[in-house]
Amino acid sequence: MTRLIRTELLKLTTMRLTYGLAAVAVALTALFSLLENNRAGASGTGVAPISTADGLRTVTTVTGFAMLLAAVLGSIVANGEFRHSTATLTYLATPRRARVLTAKAVAAISVGSLFGLVAGIVSTGVGLVFVAAHGDRVALSAGSLIGHVAGAVVGAALLAGLGVALGSLVRSQLATVIGIFVWAIIIESVIGGLYTSVRPYLPYTAATTLAGAKLGGAAFGPAHGLKGGGPLSFAAAALLIAAIGVAIALVADHTTMRRDIT
Amino acid sequence: MAVIEVDGLTKRFAGLTAVDHVTFTVERGRVVGFLGPNGAGKTTTLRMLLGLVTPTSGTATINGRRYTDLVDPLHVVGAALESSLAYPGRSARNHLRIAAFVGGAAPERVDEVLDVVDLTEAADRRVGQFSLGMRQRLALATALVCDPEILVLDEPANGLDPEGVHWLRTLLRRLAGEGRTVLVSSHILAEVAQTVDSVVILDRGRLVTESTLADLTGGTHAVRVRTPRAADLADLLTVQGASATVIATDRVEITGATTEQIGTVAAEHAIPIFETTTEAPDLEDIFLRLTANAERTEVTS
Repeated sequence: MTRLIRTELLKLTTMRLTYGLAAVAVALTALFSLLENNRAGASGTGVAPISTADGLRTVTTVTGFAMLLAAVLGSIVANGEFRHSTATLTYLATPRRARVLTAKAVAAISVGSLFGLVAGIVSTGVGLVFVAAHGDRVALSAGSLIGHVAGAVVGAALLAGLGVALGSLVRSQLATVIGIFVWAIIIESVIGGLYTSVRPYLPYTAATTLAGAKLGGAAFGPAHGLKGGGPLSFAAAALLIAAIGVAIALVADHTTMRRDIT
Repeated sequence: MAVIEVDGLTKRFAGLTAVDHVTFTVERGRVVGFLGPNGAGKTTTLRMLLGLVTPTSGTATINGRRYTDLVDPLHVVGAALESSLAYPGRSARNHLRIAAFVGGAAPERVDEVLDVVDLTEAADRRVGQFSLGMRQRLALATALVCDPEILVLDEPANGLDPEGVHWLRTLLRRLAGEGRTVLVSSHILAEVAQTVDSVVILDRGRLVTESTLADLTGGTHAVRVRTPRAADLADLLTVQGASATVIATDRVEITGATTEQIGTVAAEHAIPIFETTTEAPDLEDIFLRLTANAERTEVTS
């Protein structure tokens, strides 16, 4: 299994797409962090000044888009092989398809967690630069800030794993990439807006709260600015996302993954 | 000993039987041509053999096991299938590194197989820029990277120019000389005729014949002799039981006698021979006849 996981990591590191997605993740995180910092404290934005713990938390946890890109990476790890017919070689080398799925999940989770780490560092870094520039005191403890970065790592890793499960279920790369964005940005916003009690259980929302984003407070995130309902505990949110991923993977293992490779 | 055994292999897609109770074996160390027109079911059969497509019924085994039950399959079977292309953004070298790594082959094998298929100079170019012929070479290199004893090649000559086809023949002969078993598919008999020991011919999903190349072409060799005494030679050979026809004043066509027999008879009677040519059997003709008849003739399997 170690060899299989290392093979999948080798595939990822020899694909330009991996670096492209990572670059987009960093760029978007930096951009949205700048925008959040810029509007924090202004009237009518709902974002507290960055001199407050609440405001600083909002601007240093802009890691949701990097998590989504980790999910996209995961889906491509799984179904990109069908787009380019490289699945043939993969399954010739490892005819037991569930083993391939497991190795892909581990590889995507590893690389996905780096997306979360980098995004957490960028978002926190940008926030702290603004704080320093304003001459404010840092309103959050180092422990809290590090905890949010760690949460971004866990959230991105879990969404990357969820992406692999999705990509194993649906072989169309385009469908999964679009599906991930539509789900996270549109569907979760709508459902979360209509049923605030359901909101903490939505997987993308749950991932952002892992990283310390306030429920409904994640920048440009689902149901931004809505009040009501508390986030799930860290463990509950992580378990929820993992369970959804495993459930999708099991369905994929019994359906799509049994199909012929032609 | 049979290393590949295909027994009653059948694949039905919605409303279409792509492969219909196909049975054949491939003996160790043989080069077997797997032939048939496009759409005959060759690729589906090979993909079932390799565990990529699930048969509707029947079995296909390699060394007595299903492909999916092989330990270290890449070391047992190397496959070059038409669509086993590499990720276009990856270099040929990186593609082979992945294949070597997943199969547990030494990293040096990458350079070795690049050399075998003449891709060393293009090794660091992205596969997306490769021509069809180069992709075929890369697919062959991928099949060879773990040094397997059996090779399964699906239409490896597709996209190769005449020089490339010649190169492929030489390579296949060399691989066979190393004691490997090769199952190579093609829709052109002549393409592989110089390389294979025997052929398995498929048409419309059914087995047409499984035979040695000699049996397939047997008895159709004709020898043409140019001699000023064509009629005398024809008479002498006819007496000996051959069939000889004078086709021009100085030419006679003979079947049923070897060039050695003809030369001996001519020498005994002091008949000068200026030229002897052996007419090669028309492989395309045989192939077309076999595949065209398959519809009407009941096929044994």
